[in-house]
Amino acid sequence: MSRSDVLVDADWVENHLDDPDVVLVEVDEDTTAYDKGHIRGAIKLDWKKDLQDPVRRDFVDRHGFEQLMSERGIGNDDTVVLYGGNNNWFAAYAYWYFRLYGHRNVKLLDGGRKKWELESREMVTAVPERPRTSYRATEQDSSLRALRDEVVNSIGKRNLVDVRSPDEFTGKLLAPAHLPQEQAQRAGHIPTAKNVPWSKAANDDGTFKSDDDLRTLYRDQAGLDFSKDTIAYCRIGERSAHTWFVLHELLGQPNVKNYDGSWTEYGSLVGVPIELGEAR
Amino acid sequence: MNAAQAPGQAGQEAAGAQQAAGAQQGCGAPAGGIAVSAGASGEAIIEGHVTRGGTPPAAGYARLLNDDGEFVAEVPLGDDGGFRFFAAPGSWTVRVLAPGGVTADTAVTADYGQRTALEVSI
Repeated sequence: MSRSDVLVDADWVENHLDDPDVVLVEVDEDTTAYDKGHIRGAIKLDWKKDLQDPVRRDFVDRHGFEQLMSERGIGNDDTVVLYGGNNNWFAAYAYWYFRLYGHRNVKLLDGGRKKWELESREMVTAVPERPRTSYRATEQDSSLRALRDEVVNSIGKRNLVDVRSPDEFTGKLLAPAHLPQEQAQRAGHIPTAKNVPWSKAANDDGTFKSDDDLRTLYRDQAGLDFSKDTIAYCRIGERSAHTWFVLHELLGQPNVKNYDGSWTEYGSLVGVPIELGEAR
Repeated sequence: MNAAQAPGQAGQEAAGAQQAAGAQQGCGAPAGGIAVSAGASGEAIIEGHVTRGGTPPAAGYARLLNDDGEFVAEVPLGDDGGFRFFAAPGSWTVRVLAPGGVTADTAVTADYGQRTALEVSI
């Protein structure tokens, strides 16, 4: 996997706006952003309504993902290009789903919606209609997803990367600074985790930093041991999907999992160790 | 936010954040109703509006940077040019980004139970 396999720039997207094999998909934290304007031809996925199970705390199962893709007109052979706000935070989360369910050709628009918008590129409100497909997903790829027991058993053994902001890591805040404080019963971080806020992987314009800069950030500055397996987590697993993308897709680290239960699960578990303050 | 924050002190502040969480989700008779005003439950709110020539810009973003200048959060501006962050006590910078390479920084301080309002003209 290299950068050109998984990232496209805005010019590439403009040149493929009318390509029938390319499906643009907007996924935003603010699920109303699409309705105000989006890239021409793009469809919308709602990270909560479309991608989460409506009852259990889990995401849409294989059959549900097949239904969703078929209904939105996405075929198995289509090239899916995801983009969204906040440095592609939720687009990276959706990207991880597409990989979990075995979609072969999926990419992120580097810089996401913000870069596109701040460059005053064309935005429209027309919603495209795509003919229904018969999408077939694979079984979930468990090599990409960490569950709670695996996380607890990894303390002190694997790299744990906490990608939340420093204030969430030290226990001063329970949620990112633009969301109301909510959810986990306890603040802090998983012992032995390194804190590398997800946003450090992005330039100011939302594009990803160069591979060299990313290696320096994670290996040389944060002290991740690249010979070990890695689990990334945040609050609900979306920001850590962004870091998973960096480590697994851009830097080609072989064994990187996203812990989507993240702090809202871990910080509410009874009896697990928690550390407060700076990393030790 | 302070790199030199002592763990004990962080713990006390975290307890405040947890009370806020409990008030929102708790089944144990949480405080509520008219006596509780927004922002009084442990949130340090930084909010504001952005205008360009007197009206909200067609597109734009507000970014929150911590004391060290590090990115903490970013939100698109609302239709009225509005933004809101739930921060922690301390010094912050709000950076507004708008088309045409416009950036505008405003330094603010925040504290629990307080609502800091900004008017940013770009």
